[in-house]
Amino acid sequence: MQKIVERIRRSLTLKVILSIVLLTTLVLAIVGATLFARISTGIKAEKVDSAISEAAYTIYFAQTRLLASSRTDSELLRAAKDIVNSQAIGSDVSSREIILIRGVRNIDPEVPIDSVSNQISLSTIPNSLRNKVSTSGNISWDFVNTLYESGKLVPSVAVGEEIQVSKSGTYEMYVIFSLEPQLKALALIKNYLWLSGLALLILITFVAWLTLRQILQPIREVAVVAERLTTGALDLRIDVHSADEIGRLGLSFNEMARSIEEQIRRLENLSRVQQQFVSDVSHELRTPLTTIRMASDLLFNARESFDPAISRSTELLLAQIDKFEKLLEDLLEVSRFDAEVANVKPEVVDVRALVSRCMDDLALVASDRATSLTLECVGEDLSAQLDPRRITRIVRNLLTNAIEHSEGKAVNVSVIAEDHSLSIGVRDHGVGIDPTNHHRVFDRFWRADTSRSRARGGSGLGLAIAQEDARLHNGQITLWSEPNEGAHFTLTIPKKFGGELINPALHH
Amino acid sequence: MTSVLVVDDDQDLAEMLGIVLNGVGIEVDLVSRGDEVLDVVRNNPPDLILLDVMLPGLDGVEVCRQIREHSIQVPIVMLTAKGDTHDVVLGLEAGADDYMVKPFKPSELVARIKTRLRRTTTNVKGVLTLGDISIDVVEHTISRGSKEIPLTRLEFDLLVALAKEPGRVFTREALLSEVWGYRHSTDTRLVNVHVQRLRAKVEYDPENPTIITTVRGIGYKAGASGPRGK
Repeated sequence: MQKIVERIRRSLTLKVILSIVLLTTLVLAIVGATLFARISTGIKAEKVDSAISEAAYTIYFAQTRLLASSRTDSELLRAAKDIVNSQAIGSDVSSREIILIRGVRNIDPEVPIDSVSNQISLSTIPNSLRNKVSTSGNISWDFVNTLYESGKLVPSVAVGEEIQVSKSGTYEMYVIFSLEPQLKALALIKNYLWLSGLALLILITFVAWLTLRQILQPIREVAVVAERLTTGALDLRIDVHSADEIGRLGLSFNEMARSIEEQIRRLENLSRVQQQFVSDVSHELRTPLTTIRMASDLLFNARESFDPAISRSTELLLAQIDKFEKLLEDLLEVSRFDAEVANVKPEVVDVRALVSRCMDDLALVASDRATSLTLECVGEDLSAQLDPRRITRIVRNLLTNAIEHSEGKAVNVSVIAEDHSLSIGVRDHGVGIDPTNHHRVFDRFWRADTSRSRARGGSGLGLAIAQEDARLHNGQITLWSEPNEGAHFTLTIPKKFGGELINPALHH
Repeated sequence: MTSVLVVDDDQDLAEMLGIVLNGVGIEVDLVSRGDEVLDVVRNNPPDLILLDVMLPGLDGVEVCRQIREHSIQVPIVMLTAKGDTHDVVLGLEAGADDYMVKPFKPSELVARIKTRLRRTTTNVKGVLTLGDISIDVVEHTISRGSKEIPLTRLEFDLLVALAKEPGRVFTREALLSEVWGYRHSTDTRLVNVHVQRLRAKVEYDPENPTIITTVRGIGYKAGASGPRGK
């Protein structure tokens, strides 16, 4: 039951058809019943009319005969019998019976002449009719059931009137017409009504189903296409076959889809053009930059022979070229992230070795700033599946930042392995970052000018790239920092590439 | 005197390269069109070619292929502005030995050129055999039976590096450092592409190698891959 209700609830077709069936049945039942009642009344009334006129004639004829007959009893009796039987055997043999019965108030007749045709029972005539006949004195009628001797009941109409018999006083004479042919006709009509009602119901249901199908089919199609559009099949359209309302729906849907597709393609194209431009610019700058770099290197190597101002200029030139190169490289990397074409090559790597190598590479920079680097490892298995180039880049970036802001205090590096994740922490004890700026440190080109000086200066893209790199590993970089307490950046990645960080932990 | 052919359509860069290389005692010839390279190389074989990828006439990758098709085994170093793209792999597959991404430092360039010109096999002497291949380290030739197999110098060096310790598994990083002279490089494409090229020349069936075999997850080694060897 529940299932049927659920199915009906989910299907518009079923819902509509069910209500159409119910409503049609109701209307057909009312119309059918009314129609049948009218027909039945009409047919019966017509029979009653003809019965009354025929009975009136018959009774008048009998009255004449009985009054005119001789006064002998036997004669009278025969006349009565003749009337009953002959009238009974009238033009319509089976459909007419006659009862001649003593009047209600005729208590003691000289000659009792009660007579019936075909042995029908006197109880066929109900008392109510007899009373009506005796009190009104006019011709009266009623529907009765003719009871034959055989016990058969036949629905009939009985028409009666008082007649005067010469020697025996008041009698009642009833002419009974069978209603069987009328009832048979009515039964037939009833059957036809049922049949046509049923046919109509089926027809209407079918037409409704057909109409619904015609309307719903295109709507279903629209729904399917709309679903697929949202999943990215932007070039999908509806086949429009007609010019009607449904066709218009299809057309306007297609129009909408086209406009959405156009917008999306335009935006895609715009951003592609933009990224392509950044990439092209970076590449185009490389060839002249190569020449500049070589020329300045040459100058730099010969700076001993220049006077101090020019010598210093070549140093500055080379330093700026380094910076420029780094900026270019980072810009290109960012444009790759933006274009989502960054490719990751994961392999299983010993993270302790990777971190150590980064520290070795930066040892010279650290010693320049009188900063010591320490490494602490926690956990059994310090290997993880990662893209070594990207993770190296993150670690180098975090280390470089830490060393730059260490103010000569130690920088502590930690590698902590957990069951499914691994974190690399870089902690400095320098000026720290104001908490209000924590969320901005990963922004492109953001520099905390007040607390974090541009002393050596990266491209300003380092942490932005680091965060993108971490994201490519499903990892994250978190920051803890207090002013004058230093900063602690922690990279956490899942050990297995493509895995998720189950419980992103914050290590301080 | 060592001579290097610089192929670059950027006149300033070519001239600058000339100045830098002349400074370290390398003679430089300049060509600015890709389709002129083959003739120059044939008439006046250089010790090494510095080849830009973007060239008028014929692009660098095609130039590389053309040179190798003519069995000219001169070392080729590609100069590219796009280190991350497919161009690099295409160039290596076409027969370049190494590549440099612009902008590079002159010292890097000189070091790379010197590595390519230096034999990395000088400490190995005599004749090595690997399967049915014999490697004459002194003559710099390898042969199968009486048939000599032409290899580029880099391919030869790569083969010798593996063959001098048969069975030892070399990581790609180790090979990069030994053959290419890289420290800390993680661009394993160089190794992979050249192993493929080498296999195409020395293996009977490069798809099922027996001379240079892959050790999954680690690197390569000379000789069949143990019990599972094919």
